[in-house]
Amino acid sequence: MLPPMDDTQRPSKSRSPEPGREEALFEAALALPPEQRAAWLERACGSDAQLRQRVELLLQSNEKAGEFLRPSLGAGLERTELIPTPPKEKPGDVIGPYKIREKLGEGGCGVVYVAEQTEPVRRRVAIKVIKLGMDTRNVIARFEAERQALAMMDHPNIARVLDAGATETGRPYFVMELVRGIKITDYCDQNHLDTKQRLELFVQVCHAVQHAHQKGVIHRDIKPSNILTTLHDGVPVPKVIDFGIAKATEGRLTDLTVYTELRQFIGTPAYMSPEQAEMSGLDIDTRSDIYSLGVLLYELLTGRTPFDGQELIQSGLDQMRRTIREQEPMRPSTRLSTMLDADLTAIAKSHSAESPKLIHFIRGDLDWIVMKALEKDRTRRFESASTLALDVQRFLENEPIEARPPSGLYRFQKLVRRNKTVFAAAAAVAAALVLGLGLSLYLFVQERHALKRAVAAERRQAELREEAEKGLALEKRMREMAPITAKFTAAGQLMSQSQFDKAEDVMKDVPTNIPQSSAIYNVLGEVYGRSGLWPAAVRVFTRSVTCDPTNEFAYHYLAPLLVSTGDLDAYHSLCERALSQFSASTDPAVAEQIAKDCLMLPPPEANLATLAKMADIAVAAGPNDSKWPYYAFAKGLAEYRQGHFAGAVEWLGKVPASEEVPARTAQMYATRAMAEFQSGQTNAARASLAETAKIAETKLTQPGRIDWNDQLIAQFLLKEAKALISDAPASAGK
Amino acid sequence: MSEVTQILCAVQQGDPRAADQLLPLVYDELRKLAACKMARESPGQTLQPTALVHEAWLRLSGGADRAWDGRAHFFGAAAEAMRRILIENARRKNALRHGAGQKQLDVEELEIAAPAPDEQLLAIDEALNKLAALDKEKAELVKLRYFVGMTIEEAASVLQVSEATAKRWWIYARAWLYAEVHKREAS
Repeated sequence: MLPPMDDTQRPSKSRSPEPGREEALFEAALALPPEQRAAWLERACGSDAQLRQRVELLLQSNEKAGEFLRPSLGAGLERTELIPTPPKEKPGDVIGPYKIREKLGEGGCGVVYVAEQTEPVRRRVAIKVIKLGMDTRNVIARFEAERQALAMMDHPNIARVLDAGATETGRPYFVMELVRGIKITDYCDQNHLDTKQRLELFVQVCHAVQHAHQKGVIHRDIKPSNILTTLHDGVPVPKVIDFGIAKATEGRLTDLTVYTELRQFIGTPAYMSPEQAEMSGLDIDTRSDIYSLGVLLYELLTGRTPFDGQELIQSGLDQMRRTIREQEPMRPSTRLSTMLDADLTAIAKSHSAESPKLIHFIRGDLDWIVMKALEKDRTRRFESASTLALDVQRFLENEPIEARPPSGLYRFQKLVRRNKTVFAAAAAVAAALVLGLGLSLYLFVQERHALKRAVAAERRQAELREEAEKGLALEKRMREMAPITAKFTAAGQLMSQSQFDKAEDVMKDVPTNIPQSSAIYNVLGEVYGRSGLWPAAVRVFTRSVTCDPTNEFAYHYLAPLLVSTGDLDAYHSLCERALSQFSASTDPAVAEQIAKDCLMLPPPEANLATLAKMADIAVAAGPNDSKWPYYAFAKGLAEYRQGHFAGAVEWLGKVPASEEVPARTAQMYATRAMAEFQSGQTNAARASLAETAKIAETKLTQPGRIDWNDQLIAQFLLKEAKALISDAPASAGK
Repeated sequence: MSEVTQILCAVQQGDPRAADQLLPLVYDELRKLAACKMARESPGQTLQPTALVHEAWLRLSGGADRAWDGRAHFFGAAAEAMRRILIENARRKNALRHGAGQKQLDVEELEIAAPAPDEQLLAIDEALNKLAALDKEKAELVKLRYFVGMTIEEAASVLQVSEATAKRWWIYARAWLYAEVHKREAS
């Protein structure tokens, strides 16, 4: 509602008929030296004494008006009365089931107290009461929306958010695990942690953030005061607090939105990502946290943020946004070397180092890592907090980092460790699987090595994605099983660091009745298999099938592994389990795979009909299905095992002899050789056999192949074909 | 497109009624913003008109880079709105001091940094209304400087005049207002 401006608004009658002339004379006179003004005015105004008087008055007023109307902002302000301050909580007050003990601190958006909870457990918690003015209902609704995700977070470096509600006066509050610690930056400085120790703390923070991201929680306000550090058994442990609170107190749809964003803006602009500075607000994702982690790392290394928070605020909103969005910060080492000597010495001292050494240590790799996290374009930042952590760890272990721009030497170094990269890619898949991030086999495809066999990879990718989705769905049921989830996360983390043995170790304590373990076992098995570690692969895939007998993926690997290690009893009983589990499946891909698993060796007579039916389900998908060649092969193999040799030759003829998919092509030739031989086409059989042998020699001997299970099957079929054809007398036919 | 951006477009396309619609919107926005801010700031802090107006701009324009033309209209309206808010506050408190009762003291009170003590503020405002009747542009300039806290440069750019002109205007308007305010005091 707009108040009317009363009588004063009405145009008053002008005292001077010629304001324009008055003004012109005033200005002209003002330009003259004061002593000449009177004489000049007298001439200029002539007989109009009133006009002269007016101008003289204005000139006098101008002399006196020095401080008049000066916008005296900020100094000696006359303040209107305060609104009645909202009642503050005091020790002894009760909020919900919590009894306030003492004040812990006060921040931009609320006051934090230590409180005691009596029900259902007796414990001390931290309770943060948000200042009045926020729409309580919305804050709590937004918190509720994220509550499930928050509840799933369980990480030693994250302070758990336990509860939220409204006080009697209507203010929202959040209840958190009580963490007594100090800002991570203060901790580092006070304890003179050297740069390596700082980086180790930072890596822990990254892992905590990664964990939250895996659970779908973005922090949005990562800054040193939200990372409290304490000593636990003599080891510094950083804890990230306030997860989920920035989100809950923000939101787009209330009247307060922009205000709160601005509030936040003014609160912590130094840690704000360019996209947060945009304030479009709709599109903040995990990469925003990566940026803030970059700022944190910058500060841990140099004692300064990339842009000075105070300067940002003073430059005004527009300039602030422009700076954050457009200006490239100085590299950390450059920042240090351009500092005043005294400042630099102080910072070096807090790092327990000498200035030149500190700069030397940071220059290069650490510069690159920081700058990659601080990229304005978020697609160029680290993909995740764990890749950022991984790069820092690489640096700590004197390994080449990823953030570095490719130089000749660097590329060479990378080439040298190509094999390792394959593993890193596998690890990424592991992470993706466990986390359900859907990253899937992207990295494999990127690898040139794998690109060549994109067909096989694609197929596997679909399977893995399915697998991941299944894992995710199952994981939802796991809400109550936090300790096990923690193990999964730990295992995922270890796998993403290529520490597969340790990951398996972690999984040892997980009971076998937890089906979602299979996703982790499958990845481990995949990796072991690709390294040719058959017994280890058998071990984990067996566990995988035990944990989740419905996960067909494991069967496809375990079956050839068991044949390969000569454990045929185990193989046959696995086939029986597979059939009892999947024989009714109408999914052509499942039917085809299981049929192949059970037909790679001659199956028991009793199973033949079922297996033939499964092959029929597969080929019913039709030749337009992308997996058609696989289906046709399964049908051909089924025909052969049933003794329908002509049918087998016909179906196997439909399988393209693609060099891109050597394992399948070899399987096809080997089976066709047998079918041709059995139908009396001895020459054709020998030719087919020769083709198989050629592929087997050239293409099936490469280690690290993603389709190693299909390669094994090809080897078995080749062996069987050789035994049939080569051992037979030259004249032998049907 | 927000209501404000629509209005700003209409203003730029020469719709004279559009500018009138802008004022109530901006007024409401400033009040709301100030109330929100006050509720959250720790007591003892006073809101700065400049900051409030800039925030209102960002909020209402969606923060997009609008043509400066649109901004000029907006800030014009904002200066007027801010003036009304400050004067309103000053009047209410004045009334209180003169015994109009305690009832008025409610959360509506906005803790915005006023440029002068209440009585003086009211006197200046009255003089300013007279100046506005004579010379609208100079009065605009004073509003931008005095109630919103803009610098000469900013105000010049809002009014789309040169800095030199704005400076001349400012000196004249200040002398004029001083004379007006003190004439009243003398009489």
